[in-house]
Amino acid sequence: MNWHLFVTELVTGITHGCVYALIALGYSMVYGILKLLNFAHGDVYMVGSYIGYGWITVFGGSFAMHANVVLLLVLMFTSAMLGGGLLGVVIERFAYRRLRNAPRIAPLITALGVAFFLENAAQLIVGAQQQQYNPYGWLTTPIAVKGWFLPSHVLVSYAHAIIIVGTIVLMVALTWFVQRTQTGKAMRATSYDREAAAMMGIDVDRVIVVTFFIGSALAGAAGVFNGIEYSQVFPLMGFQAGLFAFTAAVVGGIGNLPGSVAGGLLIGLAESFATGYVSSTFQQAVVFVILIAVMLARPSGLFGRAAVQKV
Amino acid sequence: MRVKRVSALALVAGLAVIAAGCGSSNNSSSSTSSSGGGSCGTISIGMMAPITGPAGSIGSDQLHWAQFFVSQWNADSSNSPQLKIVQGDTQLDPAKASTVAQQFASNKSIVGVIGPAGSDEVEAVAPILKKAGLAFASGSATRVSLTDGKLGGYFFRDVPNDGVQGPTDADYMMSTLGVAKGDTVMIVDDQESYSTGLADIVGKELKAKGVTVDRESVSQKATDFSSLTAKAGNAKVVFLPFQVASEAQLFAQQLSAQGSKAIVFGSDGDFDSSKFNSNGAYVSFFAPDVTTVKADADTVAAFKKQFPGGTSPFGAPNYVLAQAYATAISNICKNGDTPTRDNVRTELAKVSLDSTILGNPLSFTSNGDVSGAKFHIFKIENGKYVTVA
Amino acid sequence: MSEDTPQRPDERQVPKVGVDSWVATHAQRVEGTRLQAELARIPRPAFYAGFAVFAALLPAFTSSGYIVRVGFDTLLYMLLALGLNIVVGYAGLLDLGYVAFYGFGAYAYAMLASPKFGLHWDTLAVIPVVVIASAILGFLVALPSRRLLGDYLAIVTLFFGQLFVVVMQNGESVSFLGLTKHYDLTGGPNGIVDIDNWNLGGLHVGSVQGYYYCALITFMLALTAMYLVDTSRTGRAWKSLREDPLAAELMGMPVNRLKLIAFACGAAIAGLTGTLFAALNTTVFAINFDVSTSLIIVYAVLLLGGAGSIGGVILGAIVVNVSLEVLRDPNHSTWLFYILIVGVLVAKIRPWRVLAGILVATVAIGYALRGICAAAWPRGMQGEPVVGGALGSWVNGWVIHPATPQTIANVCFVLLVVAVLGLTLLHGWQRLVALPPTLYLAAFVWNNRLAVEPSVTRLILVGVILIVLMNARPQGLLGTARVEIA
Repeated sequence: MNWHLFVTELVTGITHGCVYALIALGYSMVYGILKLLNFAHGDVYMVGSYIGYGWITVFGGSFAMHANVVLLLVLMFTSAMLGGGLLGVVIERFAYRRLRNAPRIAPLITALGVAFFLENAAQLIVGAQQQQYNPYGWLTTPIAVKGWFLPSHVLVSYAHAIIIVGTIVLMVALTWFVQRTQTGKAMRATSYDREAAAMMGIDVDRVIVVTFFIGSALAGAAGVFNGIEYSQVFPLMGFQAGLFAFTAAVVGGIGNLPGSVAGGLLIGLAESFATGYVSSTFQQAVVFVILIAVMLARPSGLFGRAAVQKV
Repeated sequence: MRVKRVSALALVAGLAVIAAGCGSSNNSSSSTSSSGGGSCGTISIGMMAPITGPAGSIGSDQLHWAQFFVSQWNADSSNSPQLKIVQGDTQLDPAKASTVAQQFASNKSIVGVIGPAGSDEVEAVAPILKKAGLAFASGSATRVSLTDGKLGGYFFRDVPNDGVQGPTDADYMMSTLGVAKGDTVMIVDDQESYSTGLADIVGKELKAKGVTVDRESVSQKATDFSSLTAKAGNAKVVFLPFQVASEAQLFAQQLSAQGSKAIVFGSDGDFDSSKFNSNGAYVSFFAPDVTTVKADADTVAAFKKQFPGGTSPFGAPNYVLAQAYATAISNICKNGDTPTRDNVRTELAKVSLDSTILGNPLSFTSNGDVSGAKFHIFKIENGKYVTVA
Repeated sequence: MSEDTPQRPDERQVPKVGVDSWVATHAQRVEGTRLQAELARIPRPAFYAGFAVFAALLPAFTSSGYIVRVGFDTLLYMLLALGLNIVVGYAGLLDLGYVAFYGFGAYAYAMLASPKFGLHWDTLAVIPVVVIASAILGFLVALPSRRLLGDYLAIVTLFFGQLFVVVMQNGESVSFLGLTKHYDLTGGPNGIVDIDNWNLGGLHVGSVQGYYYCALITFMLALTAMYLVDTSRTGRAWKSLREDPLAAELMGMPVNRLKLIAFACGAAIAGLTGTLFAALNTTVFAINFDVSTSLIIVYAVLLLGGAGSIGGVILGAIVVNVSLEVLRDPNHSTWLFYILIVGVLVAKIRPWRVLAGILVATVAIGYALRGICAAAWPRGMQGEPVVGGALGSWVNGWVIHPATPQTIANVCFVLLVVAVLGLTLLHGWQRLVALPPTLYLAAFVWNNRLAVEPSVTRLILVGVILIVLMNARPQGLLGTARVEIA
């Protein structure tokens, strides 16, 4: 058994899965409350990534960076999360709020319009060229190259560790927030039944704003994670990631937070192992076949409960 | 409610007005600005490129270089006539490229086309442009079969095709990089036709000499190559004919992070010292690095000022194509004729530039390829490209 | 009954039992203006016939092959949206892999009528085969729909759509289970080229105009079929399935069978459209059928026009595709940009004096800034105006053009977005005061940045149009407003 290959794929799959999971969490939260498929979510992830890149440029650019890496990371994360959250709130307020009671499919096109707008505005402002975080070459601490070496010369780099630990921290924080705080309770209540929650005195507008803020902040953080591990930033990166995150959210059981994480990890691992053990050419095809099989085996998603339809 | 209906109706009415205006103005604009029909006033050249969409980084760069040339040409008062670029966004989709080609064909003021960028798009637009009598010159379509004679006199390109690059790279690998019979070479393509074509040629050359070839392919949007780098194992060379230089950079970095000793070899799509600069890697390109040629320093600086945001190796060839068109058109005007699609085509085939920013002279063969095509091999040392062959 | 039944003295004050006067006047409130009442009296087929006549005359009015080509593309989108209308609009199923059937039709036609495998079947034989094969494929894809509801079905169809693209993109060396030698099935990234044109029993279709008429005839046939289905048993069954699947099942509708038939019909229309596509382009590549390129546009066409409405399909395709094409030209997009701004202002601001005052104030700000720039910052005036045409030249007169506008125009673009969003939050006189600077900012950003990159700007504008239109009319331009019962 080729341990090197196996463990590398495992580490890669988990890391990639964490990024998908974070974006999927945002999708799931919004869907749970509004039943809205927010296709612009991937573009919030893209904006978060660019915000992180902006900090790198301030400190000298990817190939000539001269800043303390810890300081840089902290700045990138906080500003990406804040920026992403703010963008999500603005999108909700101006594009989705009026469509709360519209047929479910109308906000789909509005979300597409927002996605078009954000992608092309990014191309207009920053240009279509791929930009690089280059975490391999940061002079002080190239975080993608240094790390811990496991047996068989497998590298678990600082970047991998930051992503996995960061995702766990964010998920724990989110779970605490949703389970233990008033607003979290309000969010859960609103996702069960919006009208009943409103009648119980919950400010549904505020809850929705908080949901969008948190979901989009997670997407922004995922953007920075993607940058420090895989380095590339370009205006259309959000579309593909958004599709995968949507897939992860649904496969895990839409509206279900642990399910989204499980879905994200499943997709990440499937991608890695498909590349390593089956074929890199048909990697995508293998992943889709696996996911179709999962969906047919569990039609409500991995952790979803078959909902009893009330008439 | 009524107010919203009014806005919606106003929108539709506005569109109808525009559409009607287009219908008439398309015919009228071709008569007013078709100074190409009357005198050597302002001549329009069409530019087809994937300006937005999946290959937006390549297409927008190509457009900017062509626009840069035209703005410099127009600014110099000794140049005549004035030029104008009409852009058409194909989004790398051959069907949309056909629509844009039809747009150019119907626009009587356009006398020549730069583009399209992809070999697939060239196949798709060739019948339309040929029927319209338009010359079309691409700075990045490298499929060998495009210049097999069917499109002679209509299609030109100023970059050598895969049939030159492939054997050069394979030979270098075997002669200098120490690849011998029985060794393994991993070739990874990015599922686009540029990449698969080149990968096929190199793979065939190597296999014919007894080298084991491990053919892999990734999507152009992939950023995670650790699965592949783990598979690279004891390959001597990893050949990456990618279209996007930063992808090759990622691959090389992930490869070295794994501790692999394989040498990374990139093709002309990876030639970008600001993006692909992994030490010890090799790149092949059909010209010296535009950003390092001393004579080009001013040009490059002026370009960066007008279009900040970085560039790509497929950009500068479009500057040269615009230059070729400008030369052809000004020759026609100097002879006292008016540029039409037919005489621009014949004149373009005869264009001969002694030096271009690519560092080589430019002239076309009868099939449309660039004469004297030669590939240079570069090695990356300390982040800089050094010519080694 | 005699006429002189005595009336109660308080007849007027007491509401009549069984009659609600507010409800009784409902019809007057709903019907709106007289014009709309008159329009509602014309039978719908008259509109479709009118559209057919107008479309048939289009090539006669223009000698430009481009306009006919745009018309052809629009007709293709109409056909696709018509098929999608069955699945999404009638049956209420979200099918995110729809363009895969389109691609399947195109590739199937290409494989049967091109030098690829040496088959050159007659068109009248190929088309039915492709349509039936697409319908069978749609049927197979819909089989999971029995177990999967709503968004889960959407995901599976999305997978299928992407699977199709991947397989087509990499199908140039396929070996079955690694046992046989490698076959070139789909041409991979090189696609299939040199596809035969349509040859309808001796009538060779070779030009854009010819294909335009073929597409128009195909569309009108499909439209007629849809119109007849609309009021048929199956059509009504689909609509009940969309409204409430559980109730439909309880009423005895064969829900599963209906879903399968809906998918199959939609796929059949998509397959037919694929043959037209392949025949005109004479080339097919996998990237033609990617999610990001075509699926999004088809959905935008359908939902903008109104899901469930046949006339909406026509209108939506015209609005979306014609906008995308018209906006390619910077002069046209300048006109559209300013017309939209003025249109919104006209709709929102009454009386006219206030509107005129705002426009004058905007131009005044323009001249004032030019004066300041000429004095204090001369570099701000040295740029070249990009926009031409009558309207553009007038605007160039009062907008400043900095020498290297990129950075400042980018910043102003972000400011403009913030300002526009802020304007929607203000009311009354604050809004009126904030309008002129915002309008000036819009003109500045347009002239210096947006008009310089028309290919990017057209997508931005289309995105904004989608957002605004869907917010204004969530049911689509010609859709019927529905109340969603959660």
